[in-house]
Amino acid sequence: MAEQSLPRPLPSGATARKQTSVYTQEARLGWLLVAPALLVVIGMVGYPFVEAIRISFTDRMIGRGPGEWVGLANYRFILGWPEFGQMVARTVAFTIAAVFLKTVVGLILATALNQDFRGRNILRGVFMLPWILPTYIIVLVWRWIFDGQTGVLNQILTSWGLIESNIPFLARPWSAIALLIFVLVWKGYPFYALTFLAGMQTISAELYDAAKVDGAGRLGRFIHVTLPGLRQVMGVVILLSTIWTMNTLEIPLLFTGGGPSNATEVFPLLTYHLALVQFRLGEGAAVPILMLPVIAMLVLGVASYMDREATQQ
Amino acid sequence: MTALLDRIPEGVFRVIAFVVIALLLGMILFPLYFMATTAFKVEREIYSELTWIPREPTLENFRAVIYSFRIPLYLRNTLIVALSTTAIVVVFSTLAAYAMTRLRFPGRGWLARGVLFVYLIPGSLMLIPMYLIIVNLRLKDTYLGLIIANMSFAVPFCTWLLMGYLRGISAEMEEAAMIDGCTRLGTLWHIVLPLSVPGLVTAAIFVFNGVWNEFIFALVLAQDESRRMISVGLSNFYRSDYYMVGPMMAGSLIAMAPVVILYILAQRYVVGGLAAGAVKG
Repeated sequence: MAEQSLPRPLPSGATARKQTSVYTQEARLGWLLVAPALLVVIGMVGYPFVEAIRISFTDRMIGRGPGEWVGLANYRFILGWPEFGQMVARTVAFTIAAVFLKTVVGLILATALNQDFRGRNILRGVFMLPWILPTYIIVLVWRWIFDGQTGVLNQILTSWGLIESNIPFLARPWSAIALLIFVLVWKGYPFYALTFLAGMQTISAELYDAAKVDGAGRLGRFIHVTLPGLRQVMGVVILLSTIWTMNTLEIPLLFTGGGPSNATEVFPLLTYHLALVQFRLGEGAAVPILMLPVIAMLVLGVASYMDREATQQ
Repeated sequence: MTALLDRIPEGVFRVIAFVVIALLLGMILFPLYFMATTAFKVEREIYSELTWIPREPTLENFRAVIYSFRIPLYLRNTLIVALSTTAIVVVFSTLAAYAMTRLRFPGRGWLARGVLFVYLIPGSLMLIPMYLIIVNLRLKDTYLGLIIANMSFAVPFCTWLLMGYLRGISAEMEEAAMIDGCTRLGTLWHIVLPLSVPGLVTAAIFVFNGVWNEFIFALVLAQDESRRMISVGLSNFYRSDYYMVGPMMAGSLIAMAPVVILYILAQRYVVGGLAAGAVKG
């Protein structure tokens, strides 16, 4: 089965060379070994990707057959939607805020953990918990903590006499947005911290000594030695995390569901609401496609970092 | 500012570092602490007042999720899907990663780059076509449908991870074995696989963890109770107007147990995988 699906070797620079039998044998084996994974990727990612683009040009709805070709109507609908500008601004702001805070808190924690002390490894293990635990559990627990009626935060604030009546944190637009960012940061910064920490440990102590001799203080050493040493790692982490944060569907869906009154309705959530709540598949499919140019730029950024890394090795 | 920072003596600086660590640690443990203690509280205690330690510890919530809320069924479903996906994905990805790091063939560079691109395609873009494909294949509410959906991202991710790992293993032993007459597949089996065990374990853990923690595909593709995944089962403890707090916290503790145990057993592998840059955050 795998053999039938073997694509012919793509023409590349190597074709100029006369193909020896060992060489073709190796190429055939190469494609054979890649075939199962490639089939999965073509069938389960490539094809759906193309399908998503096609569906976005139709008025397809759940339970109503394949739908008619409507050209750019879905895109016009989304772009012409009165709240579109707000939604874009909201998604951009929330992504930038979350990524910025994850970077800052991650750097602070990495610097703190980079000190020598006993129990450091156990601490590192504990700090990884948010990132290892299932997102849906974390998000639902925070949602309960911030709940206006039964939430623990309100109980604590009341018992300490700080508030007299419960605050509906998630029913107020600004606090809902702030807390959504808080949960994203809570879940994400340990990953930053531990990658930064791994990066810091590759910076040689000699550089720090040399900077000290040159009269650099604590902040000077951080700015002139640590940050440049982390540039590569930080570049990849920030770009990747921007892509993931911008596309996060699960956290806003479970934490606020887009509410109160659309205050936390971000781009990926719109897809979900249009397609799987209102059954408007065509319009739902068009939403993430509108995001593709931005994502493509970020992906190219990641790829260029990765290429640089590969060529350095 | 600079001068101010430098005037802080080393000892004080360490104290500041400890305070920062303690604060962040508190933020991490806060929700986990309340999840764990609330699971053992009686209903009255959860809703009426704040207690830091359960006053009348009870296992009632655990009894309820096991006998009344079908949590064992959801766990079984999740385990079946997670284990099958992990097994298939690790085999496919190992073969592909080996070919792409060790064999020279035209198109290899493009494939390697394609793996990264595919891994970064937004999930929301895949949601609608994946839903339609699974429905059209009549695989909605089946294990196979969930396995396929999870494979779509696990294969590129796992291949990427293993490529990084295999690149770090010296190829000299393989070359020596081949000079001694071993075939390509023979070297893969006898030399590369034994050397890659840590990488394979890492990959398997990440895939298993990823499927166990997956929510969106589970929500959309397995709506029938008989195939419901634990992620969706637990989120149902939240109804639009209120929480069944006690059972939800008990269920959460049960649902995260496998992940935590796996993590404790294999922490060094997970850290290795983290260094390979293979995780979302």
